[in-house]
Amino acid sequence: MALLEVAGLTKMFGGLTAVSELTFDIQPGELLSIIGPNGAGKTTLFNLLTGFYRPTSGTITFNAIDITGCKPYQVTRHGIGRTFQLTSIFKKSTVLENVLIGKSLHAAVGVWGSVLRTPATRREERKIRENAREILSFVGLGDKEDKVAGSLTEEAQKRLSISMALATEPKLLLLDEPTGGVNLEEISGLIDLVGKIRKSGTSICLIEHKMRMVMTISDRIVVLNYGKKIAEGAPKEVASNNEVIRAYLGERYAA
Amino acid sequence: MVLGILNVPNFAQGHLYMVAAYLGFYMVMSYGMNYWLALVLATVALGVFGLVIYGLVFHRMRNAPEVNLFVAAMALLMVLEGIALYFFGASTKWFLIPFTRRVITFIGLALPVQRLIIIVGTLVVMVLLELFIKRTAMGAALEATAQHREGAMLCGIKVTRISAMAFIIGTGLAGIAGMLIGPAVLLEPTMGMGPLLVAFSAIIFGGLGSVGGAVLGAFILGLVESLASGYVSAKYSLIFVFGIMILMLLFRPKGLFGREVWRP
Amino acid sequence: MEAIRTVFSPKAVAWMLVLIAAIAVPPIVGGYVTSMLILIAIWTIMCFSMNLIFGYTGQLSLGHSAFLGIAAYTFSLITVKLHVGFWPAFLIAIVFTGFVGFLVGIPALKLRGPYFILVTLGFAVIVGVIVLGWIDLTGGANGLFGIPRPNPIPLPGGGTLRFDSLLSMYYFILFFVVLIGIFCHRLVHSLIGKRFIAISYNENLTESLGINTMSQKLLSFTISAILAGIAGVLYATYNAVISPELTHFARGMDVVAYLIVGGAGTMAGPIVGTLVLMTVPEVLQILPYLKTLINGIILMLFIIFLPNGIIGWFNMNLGGWLTSRRAVHGSA
Repeated sequence: MALLEVAGLTKMFGGLTAVSELTFDIQPGELLSIIGPNGAGKTTLFNLLTGFYRPTSGTITFNAIDITGCKPYQVTRHGIGRTFQLTSIFKKSTVLENVLIGKSLHAAVGVWGSVLRTPATRREERKIRENAREILSFVGLGDKEDKVAGSLTEEAQKRLSISMALATEPKLLLLDEPTGGVNLEEISGLIDLVGKIRKSGTSICLIEHKMRMVMTISDRIVVLNYGKKIAEGAPKEVASNNEVIRAYLGERYAA
Repeated sequence: MVLGILNVPNFAQGHLYMVAAYLGFYMVMSYGMNYWLALVLATVALGVFGLVIYGLVFHRMRNAPEVNLFVAAMALLMVLEGIALYFFGASTKWFLIPFTRRVITFIGLALPVQRLIIIVGTLVVMVLLELFIKRTAMGAALEATAQHREGAMLCGIKVTRISAMAFIIGTGLAGIAGMLIGPAVLLEPTMGMGPLLVAFSAIIFGGLGSVGGAVLGAFILGLVESLASGYVSAKYSLIFVFGIMILMLLFRPKGLFGREVWRP
Repeated sequence: MEAIRTVFSPKAVAWMLVLIAAIAVPPIVGGYVTSMLILIAIWTIMCFSMNLIFGYTGQLSLGHSAFLGIAAYTFSLITVKLHVGFWPAFLIAIVFTGFVGFLVGIPALKLRGPYFILVTLGFAVIVGVIVLGWIDLTGGANGLFGIPRPNPIPLPGGGTLRFDSLLSMYYFILFFVVLIGIFCHRLVHSLIGKRFIAISYNENLTESLGINTMSQKLLSFTISAILAGIAGVLYATYNAVISPELTHFARGMDVVAYLIVGGAGTMAGPIVGTLVLMTVPEVLQILPYLKTLINGIILMLFIIFLPNGIIGWFNMNLGGWLTSRRAVHGSA
């Protein structure tokens, strides 16, 4: 059974169709990459999946539950985590605090417990803190927990945003250009991290522009152009697909 | 009906300013002056005032978090109210001009002239505004800046100038509104509050991001207020207007014609 | 051990000194200053309330003067007209106010930015209209009078705690200030407080992390309404007389001014801001009706040049010595 099923997904903004009749699925444990020229609707797709946009039509099913039209926090609670193209972290807080927020949706804390500092609350807070530290060392930021998030390097900030998404304990992680703005040496580090996340059992859906990376690590690829799916399949098939070549490089290069 | 003018669309970066604050305080200007002349002068004066405020306050704060701008606007409100209290006193004043008492009889209906002026004035201003936004280059620049500041900058639009322009237009409109309404109501330092609330209720009711909707909302809500004043009680009419806005918020937060808000 | 270090840290010592001063000063300085301090204390509670919803959760509500008024009027009405006892009336008044806060929060918090501010402002205006207009209930512009002080409390060792004197009222109110201060401190340092702060920094991001931001905002709003309500009841019982002026939105704006000048998002901010902005006009003998004007000018200067307030400035320049760490709005 597929982890995520998208059927006939369409999103129109006034007269503009951003995404049109999109249908694909993601199997548990796989790494699916979404590629396509700029403006093809990739980030819009992520926004639709995570509830930031309401689909004009179509359905989204996750773990056999229909999550079409759910609010973002509900989608996250169902088990889909996400990072943003523009690195989104709480720049003014410390690294640890950032992850704590990510973990807090699982925290069983209440107002009275917090104010009276009951043993139960303190235990819960300690547990959450421990979990947060584990996640930080998993992504390689274990030694930076007290640094102010805004003072980290671009690459470290990307890791932080990934760790925040991981804190929500997702079954499916949507990564929107995780290597954007990162230099060449650092990319392989991030690729390793992505591999590590996969091994721990989380399925991944990746938006990326770096073709070599995409070809190497993906199980399957979906190609979008002007909001429509123009190809789907294993990396080799997609690379030799005429439609795809035409979309990226223009008519001249198509076979 | 009266409140149609006060709905100043929230342009460029949502700089909020307390329109009504200005309204109240420039009414008394035309003591002894010809009404139409005073109208023009008030509008110009307010526009200039807007420029000054923009330069001194909002331009400096253009990189500050949004909340700070609201606080600044609020501070402005406090200052203006304080000044008005000081110069004009807390008692109400009456703005008398030749038209106030005159009434035209038209097919058997007694129409107070001032109200007619207000209605006509509103329509004229709305049409002009619409033309300005849709047909002129500056209008387009304004819309562009409102939608995406950085994008506009990249296109070579002088964002600072445009923001200032938006502000000036806004305050100028407030001036017109104030002069039109002044003769019809009692003047007191907090007179701007009511219209401001109705204006925002209208914007919410008609839909955030939709100017046409806001105008429609203003008309409907103005009607509601008048009816409530007439049938229930003038004191509580504002509550009805507010109540409708709350209902709208509960059941259809986007309003009647609201556009989907872009969330990054 | 960690506990001992916390108790004797510079911050804790500073707070202890402040508390000792607050307890020791009034008997020495006499009636006029004490009554000033009482009012400062009450408005400090209001400021704590605003700090929670604005300083920490990032929602600027201009409607909280209405909550203060609702609580004050509810309390006064049921004690004066229905002869309900002091403590039950206190409880009823603040629970009712919290309930109203909850109801108002539901539609209001669906809006963001300027729209939220305007709706809360509208709420304050509406409440003002009702209080002024419903003369049978509220006495209109004349207000209500004859509001009782707390009932004497029998003490375990014999004798009773009476609240007739100015000094006793001062300590009574100070008790609440300290209680509420500790409450707020604990809340904002807890996980829930961290959620509030996250919402104030970036609501969308917080929501994408699985947090129901609407319910958290509502929680913050309701709690702050209750705190405002407590301030209202305390004012009513101290002053024995209340009038519609209490609910005027300008009061709410004054409190925002106190908060920003002191430092929003800090624990000491509300206290410092209220203290400074309420005593300076007194000292300089400024005419009362110019108060809002002066507050507005000072606020304008601060929001442009010192948006983090006095404590915020200390925080950034003397290394977080005096306050909790949350760095607030403003350029830095």
